[in-house]
Amino acid sequence: MSRQLRPRIAPWGFLAPALALFVTFLLIPIGYAIYLSVVQLKVDGGAFGIRRKVFVGLDNYVATLTNPELLASLGRLAKFGLVSVPLTLGLALVFALLLDLPGIRFGRLSRTAIFLPYAVPGVVGALLWGFMYLPSTSPVNFALRTVGLPAVDFLGPGSIYGSLANIAIWGGVGFNMIVIYTALRSIPAEIYDAAHIDGATEWQVAWRIKIPLLTPALVLTLLFSLIATLQAYSEPTTLRSISSSISYSFFPLMKIYRDAFGTDDVSGAAAASVVMALGTLLISLVLLRLLQRRTFEDER
Amino acid sequence: MKNAQRFRVAAVAAAAVATLGLSGCAGSSESADEGTSAGPVTLEYWSWATNVDQVVEGWNQEHPDIQVKVVEAAGADDMVAKLLASVRAGEGPDMAQAEFQKLPSLVVSDVALDLSTYADQFSGEYSKGTMSLVTVGDGVFAVPQDVAPMVFMYRRDLFEQYGLQVPTTWDEYAALAKQVKEVAPTAFLGGYPDDASTFAAYTQPLGATWWSTGGESWNVGIDGPESQRVAKFWQPLVEDGLVDTTHFFTPEWGTKMNDGTLLSWTVGTWGPGAAISVAPDTAGAWAIAPMPSWDGESQVGLMGGSSVMVTKNSDHPQEAVEFLTWLNTSSAGTAGMIEKGGLFPASTLGQEALAEQPVPEIVSGQDDFWEVALTAAKDTAPVTWGPNVQVAFDTWGDAIKQASAARTSYLDVLTATQDAVVADLEKSGFSVD
Amino acid sequence: MSAVRAAGVRRTARPSRVGPTAVLLLGALYALVPIVWVLTAATKSRGELFSTAPFALGTGFVQNLVDLSTYDGGQYWTWALNSLVFAGGGALLSTAVSASAGYALARYQFRGRDAVFMLLLAGVMIPQIALAVPQYFLASELGLANTYWSVLLPSIINPFGIYLACIYVRSSVPEETVEAARIDGASELRTFRSVALPMMVPGLVTVFMLQFVGIWNNFLLPFIMLSDESKFPLTTGLYLMLNRGTGTPALYSLAIMGALLAIVPLVALMLFLQRYWRLDLISGSLKG
Repeated sequence: MSRQLRPRIAPWGFLAPALALFVTFLLIPIGYAIYLSVVQLKVDGGAFGIRRKVFVGLDNYVATLTNPELLASLGRLAKFGLVSVPLTLGLALVFALLLDLPGIRFGRLSRTAIFLPYAVPGVVGALLWGFMYLPSTSPVNFALRTVGLPAVDFLGPGSIYGSLANIAIWGGVGFNMIVIYTALRSIPAEIYDAAHIDGATEWQVAWRIKIPLLTPALVLTLLFSLIATLQAYSEPTTLRSISSSISYSFFPLMKIYRDAFGTDDVSGAAAASVVMALGTLLISLVLLRLLQRRTFEDER
Repeated sequence: MKNAQRFRVAAVAAAAVATLGLSGCAGSSESADEGTSAGPVTLEYWSWATNVDQVVEGWNQEHPDIQVKVVEAAGADDMVAKLLASVRAGEGPDMAQAEFQKLPSLVVSDVALDLSTYADQFSGEYSKGTMSLVTVGDGVFAVPQDVAPMVFMYRRDLFEQYGLQVPTTWDEYAALAKQVKEVAPTAFLGGYPDDASTFAAYTQPLGATWWSTGGESWNVGIDGPESQRVAKFWQPLVEDGLVDTTHFFTPEWGTKMNDGTLLSWTVGTWGPGAAISVAPDTAGAWAIAPMPSWDGESQVGLMGGSSVMVTKNSDHPQEAVEFLTWLNTSSAGTAGMIEKGGLFPASTLGQEALAEQPVPEIVSGQDDFWEVALTAAKDTAPVTWGPNVQVAFDTWGDAIKQASAARTSYLDVLTATQDAVVADLEKSGFSVD
Repeated sequence: MSAVRAAGVRRTARPSRVGPTAVLLLGALYALVPIVWVLTAATKSRGELFSTAPFALGTGFVQNLVDLSTYDGGQYWTWALNSLVFAGGGALLSTAVSASAGYALARYQFRGRDAVFMLLLAGVMIPQIALAVPQYFLASELGLANTYWSVLLPSIINPFGIYLACIYVRSSVPEETVEAARIDGASELRTFRSVALPMMVPGLVTVFMLQFVGIWNNFLLPFIMLSDESKFPLTTGLYLMLNRGTGTPALYSLAIMGALLAIVPLVALMLFLQRYWRLDLISGSLKG
C-alpha cells in the first residue's frame, strides 16, 4: 500500500503544524473580529448599569464608516503614505541601481550601512529620530543656531508628516534596496552586452532594460511598503510622547487601539479592524494579480 | 460561551503541536487561588506603585496564610484595558490599582467588586472627601491609596532674585505672569492646562461637576460656567505669550524646568518627587505654597491619586480587603509606601506619619513643606468622575493643543469635549439629561 | 548560481564613478546618523543630554550603564532576556514549521495543494492591525493573555516564511533526489529529515533571520498581549520607560542607553551573518 498512499497523507502531515497555527492565530481571530463587530456592549439601564453584549447587526460598520475621527485618521495616513512609500521605493531603487553599476567604490560599505536601519526596532528608530527633531538635541537646529538661522520645527502640525515619513523611509529603504539589488544581480549579464555594444549609456540600460525586468521585485516591495504603511503604529505612538501634534487617533491603528483598550469600545475597534483588513486585502489582491502574471506562471 | 470552548480546543491542539520540544519558558496564567479555607491563599495584585513589592514582602512574612503576589503592571493607562479583558475572560488578578477617575468605568464594566460589606474595616481611616472618591453610586468600590491635592510649586531662589511675590489668587497669578516677562523676558511663570487632569483640578474648587447622576441618568457639566471661567482665564495668557505651552513631562519641558525657564508648576503633591528626575540641577531651589484661589475659597482640586480595587473574579475578597486595609491604613503599611514608594498616602494615619518624613530633595530648603502639603490635603474639593473620563481627557488634550496652535476659542474646546462625552455615554446606552 | 555575474568583468576600463559613489555614501551617511547620535548620546549624563552639542561626547557612559542595569532591580536585562526568548524561540519554531510546510507544498502533488498555497499567500496580506485586537480577546478567553505563550505562539506562524521555504525547496532540492530516497525505501519523514532538510539549510537560515528580526522588532503584539512588566521584551520595555503614566517623567538617559544596547545584538548579527543572508529568496530571483 505504502508508496501510492503515502504521498497523499504525508503532505498533510507536514502541513499540519502550519495549518493548525494558521487557523488558530489567523482564521479564528478574523472570525472572532467579525463576531465582535456585530455585537455591542450596552448598559442595561440606570446610571451605573452593567454593560452587556447585544446583537446590533451592521450598526458598528455604519458608525465606523461615518466616524469623522477614523476618516480623518485615514486621511492623515494617506498624507503620510504618499510621502513615505514613493520615497522609500524610489530611494531603494536608485541605491540598488547605483550599487549595480560597474566601477562603483565603497559598494559593500554603503550597502551594509543603508541596510543597517532594518535591524533597528521601530520604537527605537522613532526614539532616535525624536531626539534628532527636538529643538534642544537636534543636530540640524544646533547647526542652524550656530550660524544664526532660525530653528526648524520638526514636530509642528504640518511638518510632523514629513518627520514621520522620514522615520519610515529611514527604516525601510535598506530592506527594499536589498530585495531589488538581489533581483538585479540575478539578471544575466549577457542581456546588457548587446545594449552596450549598441552604445547605450548606463542610464538607458537602467531605464530600458533593468527597470522593466525588475517589475516583479518592485511590485513585491510596493506591496510590503503598503502593508507596513497601513500598520504604522509604533513610530507615531513613540513620537506622541514628545510631540503634541500627534493626537491619540492620529493613525487608524492608534484609533483602533484606543477604542479597544482605552475607551472599552471593542465592537467599534473590531469593525474598524475588519474594514482595514478588507481594504488591505483588496489593494494586495490587485497588486498580487500583477505580480502573479509575471512570476508565478513559470514556476511549474 | 460555546464558541470559546471550540476555540479552546483548537488552540490547545495548535499549542501542543507547535510547542513540542520547547519547555524552557513556562507561562504563568494560572491564577493560583484555588484555596479553600484550609490552605494558604495567594492573591494576585496588579500595581504600578514604586517598590510596592518590597512593602508587600513585609506582609507576606507576617501572614503565611495570605500570600500576596505583586505583578508590576505597565502604566496606568494601559493597565485598565488589560484588566477589563482578563477579568471578563474569567482570569485576572484579585486586586488592581486604579486611578480615582478610572473607577466608575471599571464599575460599569463589571470588573470592580462592591466592597460595601467590608467598608467598615477601612472607611474610618479616611476623610469623607477621600471616601467619596471611591464611592460610585451606592457602593464603595476600592480602598484609597494615595491622593494628590494641588499645590503651587515655585522656584524660591528665582522668585527672590527677581523680587516676585507668591500669588494667592489667580488674578495675582495673571499679573505675576506679566511681571515675569518684564524682569526675565526668557522665563515663564508657568504652563497652561493642556491636559485635562490639570484643567479639571483648576475647576473643582469653583464647584464644577463634570459628571453627576440624577437617579437613573447622567448629567454632564464639562462646559459649565466654572469650566468656562477657567478657560477664559488661560486663553489670553496663552495668546499674549505670558505662559509656556510646552506639554509637561516632554524633554523640552524637563529642560525648561532644569534651566530656570519655568518658575512654577501647579501640580499634585507628587510633583516634588517627580520633578527631581527632570530637574536634578535645581535640587533645593524649589518650595511649595498653597494654590492661588479664584474667589478666596479654601478648597483645592485633586490632580491624580489612586486606589486599589478588588475584582469580581477574586475568590477571596475578605482576605484581599484585609491586606489592602493593612497596606493603606496601618502604620507599617503606610510607612512602607511612604519610605519605599514615595507616596502621599490617602489615609489620615498615613498623612500624620508624613510630618515625620524628610522633605523631598527638590524642596529640601523648605521646613514647612509637609505642613503646606497636609493643609492642602485636609480641604479638597469634592469630585465625581463618570464612566467615560478617558474620552473627556483625550478629547480635551487633543483639541486644546489644536486650539492653541490655531488661536481658536478654548470655549469651543469645552463644547467639543462635552459633546464627545455625551455622545459616548449615549452610544453605550446610558441616558443623559 | 549561474545567473550571478562575475564581478570584475565589466569593471575594467571604465571611468571611476564619482557621482554615483557619492550618492551612495550620502545614503550611507543618512542611515548612520541616528546610530552615531545614539552612540554619542549614550555617553551623556542627564544634564549633558539637553545642554551639550549633538555628537559631542559626554561623561556619563558608565553611570548610564549602571543606572540602566540597576533600574527597577535589573528589569532591563529581564526584558533583553525575554526578547531573546521570544525572537530566538519564536524564529526557531517558525523556521521548523515553515520548512515542513514549504517542503510539503513544493515537493508533493496533492488535492487541495493550490488552495492551501493561496490561503497562505492571503495570510501574508492580512495586516497585523486586523489581528491584534481579536487575538488579544481570544487569548484572554483562553487564559493565555499576559503569558509568554501569547507572544510566542502567534509569532510562530509566518505565511511568508512558508512561501520562502517553498520557493527555496523548488530551486535547491531536486525532485529526483527526493524520489531516489523514496525508492531506497526511506519513509517520508526520513526523506524530509535526512535528505531534503540538509539541502534547505541556507534558505532556512534566511527564513530564521527574517523572523528573528521581525519578532525582535515587534512592538504591537507584546504591547497588546502583556500587562506584566517582567514579561516585556525590549521594545515595549523601552516604550514604557518613555511613558510611565501619570506622575512619572520619562527616563530619557536610560531609554537612550537602552536603545543603544537593544540594537547592538541585531547589528552584530547582521554584520556577522551577512554572507548567510539569502535575500535573493525574497525577490523571487532564485530560480536559476
